[in-house]
Amino acid sequence: MKTEPLVLGIETSCDETAIGIVRGRRLLANVIASSVEEHALFGGVVPEIASRAHLESMLIILDTALKESKICLNDIDAVAVTAGPGLVGALLVGVASATGLALGLGKPLYGVNHLAAHVSVDLLTHEAPVESTIALLVSGGHSSLLQVDDITSSVVKLGESMDDAAGEAFDKIARVMGLGFPGGPAIDREAKLGNAKAIDFPRGLTQSRDWLTRPFDFSFSGLKTAVARYLEATPTYARADVAASFQEAIVDVLLLKALAACKQTGIDTLVIAGGVAANSRLRQLAQERAAVAKVRLRIPPAGLCTDNGAMVAALGSLMVAAGRAPSHIDVEADSSLPVTTVSLP
Amino acid sequence: MTITLAIDTSTSRTSVAIIDQGALLWHGYRDGATSHGHALPAMVEQALAVAPRIEQVVVGMGPGPYTGLRVGIAFARTFAVARKIPVIGICSLDAIAALVHERDDFLIATDARRKEVYWAKYRSGVRVEGPDVDLPSVVADFGLPIFGEGAVKYSIAFSDENQFPDLVAMVAISEDTDLQVDEPLYIRRPDAVPTTERAL
Ligand SMILES: [Zn+2]
Repeated sequence: MKTEPLVLGIETSCDETAIGIVRGRRLLANVIASSVEEHALFGGVVPEIASRAHLESMLIILDTALKESKICLNDIDAVAVTAGPGLVGALLVGVASATGLALGLGKPLYGVNHLAAHVSVDLLTHEAPVESTIALLVSGGHSSLLQVDDITSSVVKLGESMDDAAGEAFDKIARVMGLGFPGGPAIDREAKLGNAKAIDFPRGLTQSRDWLTRPFDFSFSGLKTAVARYLEATPTYARADVAASFQEAIVDVLLLKALAACKQTGIDTLVIAGGVAANSRLRQLAQERAAVAKVRLRIPPAGLCTDNGAMVAALGSLMVAAGRAPSHIDVEADSSLPVTTVSLP
Repeated sequence: MTITLAIDTSTSRTSVAIIDQGALLWHGYRDGATSHGHALPAMVEQALAVAPRIEQVVVGMGPGPYTGLRVGIAFARTFAVARKIPVIGICSLDAIAALVHERDDFLIATDARRKEVYWAKYRSGVRVEGPDVDLPSVVADFGLPIFGEGAVKYSIAFSDENQFPDLVAMVAISEDTDLQVDEPLYIRRPDAVPTTERAL
């Protein structure tokens, strides 16, 4: 039997410089350097700071990943890299690093989609995805519902956010509440101390008419406005209650729509991926509702939900195993690569 | 002597060469201020087909527009790691100055975007000031002959010769340890403006 592919994956789409190494479905190394503390000073990601940090960290991370995995660079079968979507200057550092490695080693290069990689990280912690799954992809820049028949070749978009991404809503609300950046973990912590039923915030696109016209799309701008108005009108608001109620509204809608997608398509596996999948309330409520709906739920451990290199390596490993053609060596980073394009030619 | 892969992406030109004892085994370039990421690996692939055995990498560390500059440095570094060979950086302006046959003082100026130029001053071929960044008018006020892509772009050039780094010169310069540069020459601090785009 042929040994499973040994793949090194590089991720630099935003503010994390990350390298992961996998052998088939086994995670051998997952090393991340983040410039998030530098960005926190500015309340958001500064592209030039992120790009400089990627270049500064790349070789250090590579060295650490090789030591952690105890493999020799020459033994890898392929190099995979996030080719998009993301910040273009940041992506280019990763792609140039990956092409340098691939040409230096004489190994194939796979320029892959960051979002598809988020979904494929699931393979490192669960059985290989055999049949179709519904994927709820929720992060700072994306809230999408996908039908994934084959993560190496066929991803269909069922719906997406019409305005803010879920993670973006977390960031914005955290900012107005003075909870800092990034907002997701801050609200998650604060919400644990509060009552999720304290305030009934609106659930976007869940009216009966919406279920007919936009069943799998999301909208969080109404929720954001409602929270801002509430904070203005209630100077003595209980911070933990607002955080918990806001979080509940987002999580509720995400799961309503994800499980509706499972029901409509008849697909009984749901993968939740992306940075927001690290949210503890989303994970808890997903377990409860998936059990009731008899849907098989798969959520990677929180550490693999946020951006990392292991997910890129995992997708690369699947591409190799499926016999997909590698990318050309002069593959270009695409900052707005659509989620339906799994890899670049 | 060592067979060297030389790369520069500090100007709008992406240049690649393989050099052995001052002789070009392969060389090529492509022009385009946003095509470094595309052009560099394609050219290196062609170059390796001619001269597969590389013993060191020499790369221009700028100054230059950041995105293209980083493509060359990131590529050079991982290629060197993959081959277990050294990588040496030098100031890209020095590799333009090496082409200039002026006995007296002169300046090299490359495009720094935002209507500014990166510049350095040379005396008998040796850098005596810079690299730095300024408005073209400030650099013109030195009253010295100016060469380089930036000088041509802002019409302060002495001639339109010698606009881009020369890779044979770059490799020769890299042998002087005093002229080696370990980190990219950004000159400017990053603009601290957060993006409206978000982590994906
Ligand atoms: Zn992501």
